[in-house]
Amino acid sequence: MPAQEHALALDSHSRFGFRRIRVKTANRLKYFFRKPHNIILVLLFVSLAFLTLVPLFSLIRDTFIVHPSEIMSVRGAKINDVTLFHWKKVLLDGTKSFKLFYEPLWNTLKVSLFSSIIAIFLGGSFAWLVTRTDMAFKPFISVVFIFPYIMPSWTLAMAWLNFFRNKLIGGAPGLFTALTGIETANWFAYGIFPTSVVLGLHYAPFAYILIGGILRNMDANLEEAALILKASRAKIIARINLPIIMPAILSTFLLVFSSTMSAFAVPAFLGTPVRFQVLTTQLYRTLNGLNPGYGYIMAVVMIVIGLLILAVNQWYLGKRKSFVTVTGKSSNISFIKLKKMRPVISGAALFIVAAIAILPLLTFVVESFILAPGNYSFSNLTTQFWVGLGREDIGGGEPGILLNKSVYIAFWNSLKLSAVVALVVGTVGGLAGYAIVRGRGKKLSAIVNNLAFFPYLLPSMAFGAIYLSMFAKPIGFFPSLYGTFFLLVLIGSVKYLPFASRAGINAMLQLSGEIEEAAIIMGIPWRKRITRILFPIQKSSFLSGYLLPFISCMRELALFVLLITPANRVITTLLFQYNEKGWNQWANGINLLIIIAVLSINLLINKLTGASIDKGIGS
Amino acid sequence: MKKGRMLALALLLFVSMVQVFAAPSQELIDAAKKEGKVVVYSITSRIANAAKAFETKYGIKVEAYNLKDGELIEKVTREVGGNISGADFVICQDSGRVYGQLIATGYLVNFVPDSLKNVIPAQYQNPLVFQFINKVFIFNSEKTQTPVIKNVWELTEPKWKGLVQFKDPKLEGVNANFLTMLTSPEWSAKLAKAYEDLYGKKLVLTTKNAGYEWIKRFFQNGLILGNSDTTISENIGIKGQKAQTLGLFVYSKTRYDEAKNLALLPMPDVQPFSGFMYPAFLQMTKNAKNKNAAKLFIEYLLTEEGFAPWSKDVGSYSSNPTIKIDPDDKPVSYWAPRLVFEDPAFLFENRADVEEFVNTLSN
Repeated sequence: MPAQEHALALDSHSRFGFRRIRVKTANRLKYFFRKPHNIILVLLFVSLAFLTLVPLFSLIRDTFIVHPSEIMSVRGAKINDVTLFHWKKVLLDGTKSFKLFYEPLWNTLKVSLFSSIIAIFLGGSFAWLVTRTDMAFKPFISVVFIFPYIMPSWTLAMAWLNFFRNKLIGGAPGLFTALTGIETANWFAYGIFPTSVVLGLHYAPFAYILIGGILRNMDANLEEAALILKASRAKIIARINLPIIMPAILSTFLLVFSSTMSAFAVPAFLGTPVRFQVLTTQLYRTLNGLNPGYGYIMAVVMIVIGLLILAVNQWYLGKRKSFVTVTGKSSNISFIKLKKMRPVISGAALFIVAAIAILPLLTFVVESFILAPGNYSFSNLTTQFWVGLGREDIGGGEPGILLNKSVYIAFWNSLKLSAVVALVVGTVGGLAGYAIVRGRGKKLSAIVNNLAFFPYLLPSMAFGAIYLSMFAKPIGFFPSLYGTFFLLVLIGSVKYLPFASRAGINAMLQLSGEIEEAAIIMGIPWRKRITRILFPIQKSSFLSGYLLPFISCMRELALFVLLITPANRVITTLLFQYNEKGWNQWANGINLLIIIAVLSINLLINKLTGASIDKGIGS
Repeated sequence: MKKGRMLALALLLFVSMVQVFAAPSQELIDAAKKEGKVVVYSITSRIANAAKAFETKYGIKVEAYNLKDGELIEKVTREVGGNISGADFVICQDSGRVYGQLIATGYLVNFVPDSLKNVIPAQYQNPLVFQFINKVFIFNSEKTQTPVIKNVWELTEPKWKGLVQFKDPKLEGVNANFLTMLTSPEWSAKLAKAYEDLYGKKLVLTTKNAGYEWIKRFFQNGLILGNSDTTISENIGIKGQKAQTLGLFVYSKTRYDEAKNLALLPMPDVQPFSGFMYPAFLQMTKNAKNKNAAKLFIEYLLTEEGFAPWSKDVGSYSSNPTIKIDPDDKPVSYWAPRLVFEDPAFLFENRADVEEFVNTLSN
């Protein structure tokens, strides 16, 4: 009996215990989902897994199958056969592999490294000058410095050619040679040097924005404390400033390195004359040519490199805690006095921004008005390419830009696309930043954080190629999206999410948790906490999460080039087409239009909200 | 003299009669107007002008898009393969890929208008050729009007190092096709002979055959690769250059001579070839939505009126022999023995190898 009783007791005990566990899990789940940030994290996890991991697997699968255009090179194979052909050819075919893959890979790494260094050095210096010193002309410089980022990157390459082309490619000499009589060296005009410089200049605003954001928000108390303790200027920079901006430098490095790695048009224009090859130029050729399989392998390699850099970045950040720089307390920024050097430094800075930002603009203006190439005399000026009806003997009767229907359609498509993408990305990214920071330390938060950043590492053109093959047919309840505006919005949103989520995360990291806790104690609901407290405090950071995707989208080419159907083409694909055809007057004019449009929108938002991209992505 | 004039008159009469016969049926016009719209992808930008004229004539809206050859093939593969509506018909080039990837798969459908079946030579009817385009050796003619080379092997000599331009064969399929054709038995034999004719000795091979050998030496002699034939034509043709330059690019670019102040002349008598010629095809897509409008437009493009945007300049040759060519130009029959033509079967088998070979050549 006692034994039986005991058993019964045990039984009831265990049954009771089981129920308790069930109730406990249910409670835990309920508790888990009561926190808004957990709901956001779960939603993001599911959708990002679908939008980034599935494509990754699809990409890897593509490296093993025979595509329609490969029946010419994979002898005797049928479409969709499984094959190791691509891997063998790319990795193990002696000289052919060397020229196809290893040499371009090495070139890619060099270009990415050099341009990252240029971008960080230039952008960082300007960020420091603008935020921490009493340099003159600051408002002007800080606006103009970001111009190169607004211009589609290859148009800077075109400007480089306008200036420095030499007799290697013949034609009219570049402006530089025409003015000075000095013939530029080949290494200076084409190949790795100009490619790295142009990409470095194009992405320097990244460094400027990221590093500047931190420097601007940095509590001057730290520096003052150091000053009081009689630390030298050098020591302050080395022990206080640098460690604080180190995460921004690393982020910049990661972003610029990945971006330049997947840049296509700049090396295509500056490298072709001397047959300088990088992975993307090979990628473009293979994806549009006979061997897309090779291209998919190169894309996988680029992603792996990106992941390695990301890992190093995280390992470094993991070693230390983030700095809270916005405490809700007032902080003053004291400007370093440049004293005697002020006019010299200010003048030099002004000269540099004029050279990298204003001068290319001027060449675009001039080039869009000249008729016979290379002839800059007054009689050769024409308004043909702006308001002309089209002449049969120039560019096959294409009408001038302002009378050109396709320009208007493409421009409108671009604006629409960029606005929608910016709205989606800015909002999702801001919420992601909030959720990731609030869930910090949890596995889910770390996973979502990485997933939200992952699209950045996918080379744009390959990303486009994967979305093309994924969404060209219906999957489950998803209809075929090929040729729809929605597909462009989708890929733009995923690709630019990292900008916004980074902006959001950085904005949230700077905010001391006490601010929201105080509101929770006061019983203020979540939505109000976000819209009335958190967002307003870090408004400029969050808004940059909208602005940066907008601008990037307006001048994006590689991401959309494969997905665009002629009916929904955007302005950059049209621009690139004109550039490729050598119809430079149209191209230069359209480029001007893009820059003017982006600048006016930036200005408008600045006037309305006080935010602007040059004010910083807030960290 | 009188006889000649009579003959010309007879020819004119014949041409105008053909034109009368060439009119599309009212039935087709009505059906096309009912559809009211047609979408075309084209490798030639001048389609925009033809589209405008077609719109005015029939009141049928045309969406014409200018794409690069590889791009067009990819788009059609996707769209027809995925049964997504895109182009109703295309003007495409790059024989090897068009045959292998689009025609063999049934993605493109041949259509020859009844009125033209007796006009267009049979060998151009399947697949229907829209026009031939030629890329020839063209030199800067500011200082001299006499051709600057007589034999293509001269281009492998130090004298021409860094002075010759050619569009990157990676960027345009037809350029890769041209190089591929040089490695064919026919052309490599001709190249070997040309070498002997020029230097009086046998060519010593370091590669598979004389075709590969010429490509190798041509590329390694500082050949400048360009992104666009238009840009190359400007680079070569601008006046006031010190060095004598030449290029291998689309003959029709010389039409810009006057407006852009260029000095360009073709060299039609280089041994063993003066360049290459390739067809652009007119094909309907399998899933064309506006079939009748497409048919009407195809027919229109093969008439003198529809071909006007092309025929008024050199370097475009309609498959319809009754359409007059530019008075400064010569007909296909003149160019045929002087230029390298595409052989789709040979291209399909060998293009990948040649592309790979070219990719290994550095400066």
